[in-house]
Amino acid sequence: MKKALVLATLAALLPCAPAHAETIAIVHAKAYTLTAAEPIEDATIVMREGRIESVVAHAPAPADARVVDATGRIVTPGLFNSATGVGLVEVSSTDDTVDQAVKASPLGAAFDVQYALNGNGEPVRQARAEGVARAIALPTGSGGAPFLGQGALIHLLPGMSILERPGAVMVVGIGGSASSGVGGSRSAAWQILRNALDESRAFKRPADGREATPRDQLLNHLDAEALQPVLSRQVPLLIQAERESDIRQAIRLMEDENVRVILCGGAEAWRAADALAAHHIPVILDPFADMPDSFDQLGARLDNAALLQRAGVLIAFALTDTFSSVYKTYNAGGVLREAAGLSVANGLPWIEALKALTLNPASIWGAAGHFGALAAGEDADVVIWEGDPLDVSGWPAAVFLAGQPVSLRTRQTALLDRYRSAASTPAPRP
Amino acid sequence: MIAVLGWLVIGAAAPATRVPRPYPSDPFPSTYRPAPSTDVLIRGAVVLDGLGHRFDDEDLLLQNGKVVALGKRLVAPAGAQVIDAQGRWVTPGIIDVHSHDGDFALPLTSDNTDTNESTDWNTANVWAEHSVQPMDPAFSRALASGVTALQVLPGSVNLFGGRGVVLKPISAVTMQAMKFPGAPYSLKMACGENPKFFYGGKGRFPATRMGNVAGYREAWLAARRYKADWDKYERYGGEPPKRDLKLDTLAGVLDGDIRVHMHCYKADEMAVVLDVAREMGYRVTAFHHATDAYKIPVLLRQSGTCVAVWADWWGFKVEAEDGIPENAALLDAAGVCVMMHSDSPAIGQHLNLEAGKAAAAGRRAGLDIPPERAIRWVTSNPAEALGLADRIGTLEPGKNADVVIWSANPLSVYSHADQVFIDGALLYDRSKPAAGPSSDFELGRAASELPQ
Repeated sequence: MKKALVLATLAALLPCAPAHAETIAIVHAKAYTLTAAEPIEDATIVMREGRIESVVAHAPAPADARVVDATGRIVTPGLFNSATGVGLVEVSSTDDTVDQAVKASPLGAAFDVQYALNGNGEPVRQARAEGVARAIALPTGSGGAPFLGQGALIHLLPGMSILERPGAVMVVGIGGSASSGVGGSRSAAWQILRNALDESRAFKRPADGREATPRDQLLNHLDAEALQPVLSRQVPLLIQAERESDIRQAIRLMEDENVRVILCGGAEAWRAADALAAHHIPVILDPFADMPDSFDQLGARLDNAALLQRAGVLIAFALTDTFSSVYKTYNAGGVLREAAGLSVANGLPWIEALKALTLNPASIWGAAGHFGALAAGEDADVVIWEGDPLDVSGWPAAVFLAGQPVSLRTRQTALLDRYRSAASTPAPRP
Repeated sequence: MIAVLGWLVIGAAAPATRVPRPYPSDPFPSTYRPAPSTDVLIRGAVVLDGLGHRFDDEDLLLQNGKVVALGKRLVAPAGAQVIDAQGRWVTPGIIDVHSHDGDFALPLTSDNTDTNESTDWNTANVWAEHSVQPMDPAFSRALASGVTALQVLPGSVNLFGGRGVVLKPISAVTMQAMKFPGAPYSLKMACGENPKFFYGGKGRFPATRMGNVAGYREAWLAARRYKADWDKYERYGGEPPKRDLKLDTLAGVLDGDIRVHMHCYKADEMAVVLDVAREMGYRVTAFHHATDAYKIPVLLRQSGTCVAVWADWWGFKVEAEDGIPENAALLDAAGVCVMMHSDSPAIGQHLNLEAGKAAAAGRRAGLDIPPERAIRWVTSNPAEALGLADRIGTLEPGKNADVVIWSANPLSVYSHADQVFIDGALLYDRSKPAAGPSSDFELGRAASELPQ
């Protein structure tokens, strides 16, 4: 057994080069595996070659493992944020650093953010240091409303290779504020969406290079091709909608078109909780959203998450509210945890809130069994927490991605290091 | 207030026909009346007094709308309501020094966007209170989150945005009924990107940061002349100066009656503004947002300027790129007056958590900031910046009985404001859901009623 590492020094460690990937054993962990209701106390978590090898109570560390002593701290899977600008945005007010949306563009449903991803972006590094292992990099506008484009599943590994699954989701924006893109009525949004699915269904990629079907009237070939995986149910439609009427339209669309639907936003989803549960439609929601920000959100309430979970709806968290917009790209981990804590304060069981940050999004994004739990064979994306991860007083003490420690250094810590002596100039404390 | 009294002394000796200096007066006086209250003894709480102390198993007595005593085993006066607060926490009411509630009323339709009079770089003549819609649901959310006073400011598009006002987040039909009696007015000013981007983008002045500073100085020069004209008129008589609403507000600042609250992110710009203030003879009470403030603690401490910050906002604009979560903790440790602010109705419900996050960031960086110290960022420090430290912000005897009983440590995400008192009146009680929403806007909406 290699020398046990004191946790406090871990944050300062540089990540190991993959060629020298070490086997690491976290010992004395309070491990929330999420495969069981209760945590495993004094767990030993062995991570080898990028995956979790075992999570066992009171087990000795393997002889070849570097040992990290969690000294009883809470250990969870890495966090998953289901709706972010991370990887696509550097400074949101500065257009040339933002790749989330196109306006005058031939690309509607075909707009795909995967080619813009920037692993060197500061929001990526910050989110990683906050314990975010995976996220959906979300498009916010295309040339063909109501489609906003295709989002990518990203894995926040150090370096440039953060793209894990391109075209992971087809995003659609519906509602009062989104209606201008379709001419002014949300009814047109549903009509255009249904028509697009019909046209795509009629569209066949011309194997022999001939012109495509004459049915192609509103939709161009790129868009029709982009919708094929939606029709074949490989890719879900992420429908951003808040109002109950739109939520029920989304349910009808799912029934009529036989496509997979995920609801995002869903301020009034609690009003349709039973129907959403019956149709197995997951909801990605923002626990901060408790106000009528718009006329679409008159029914917003703090216990939306608790009511949905109680009704049997699979929920995950993201920072989608109007007033959370800064957090979509910045503090995508820290404030996401705060949001989860807020849902606990308003009736959601703590363990369910943790699941909504980890296991549930893995299920929603079709990766249950690959990540989102601490179990043998899963990706070794693991966070050791100082304090309670769902309270604002907690923070990540150590983050492991693919079984290796990642640096918690960011531009913010560099600024702190540079200026903390200036600030600590002695002064009388009033 | 000194300037007002000073004028009254001189005015009393002046001929009766003399027109009074117009700008210290308030033509829109508060009609606020405290709600009925009984005497209240809160027993056995963990009390954070707002002065930096923590008392465990402490009692707090509220009588006639005021804090009367803080101590152990206080005797309940006859007829007093006794509240068992064992295991719960008590703080002064939360004060939000930067809100747009009422001016940016929910829902956010274009009809309700009354925050920025974005028609001129200097709109010192507009008053935020004249946009306030008391039906904004944000007020009731703030109250239910422990907020007992908030400063509503104009937006940051103009160099001089206009006057701010201090309100109580109570259910009311008129702005005047919410207005904090006798609170000093403020002037909202702005640095940086917003003014130059908005006006520069239209090919107008100012288009640069140097244009911003030229605009400040030009306006202050005019205000100094205006004030001198009034001073001269008061001494020597003659024709009264021609009244100017913009210059009224700026002259009120020069007289020390109106407090400058300035939107400013960057350390370099804050330093320039402090020089402008010295040159023109006024004080900057507080820089708001101030994501860079941790770079200039000595300058801020020496000028006695407070900063109002978010716990963790950064990056969303170039001037906010250097924001760090340790900002508040570093400044507090350096002896600078720090406040957490909201700028949004969402954070306006979680100012206690903003303090909690900022304190945790400090702890992570090795700065020990216990709850009794961090709570000052949302109680006594903003009271000071608003010029209301003699009335609110702490639990000292004689202060207004603006008090929150929290279900747990207010710096924890799991805590709730259980009971909120303003001037001794219990205005929010989590255990007794109101019969309906306090906002007229939310009344009778099918979407928020339980489905049949």
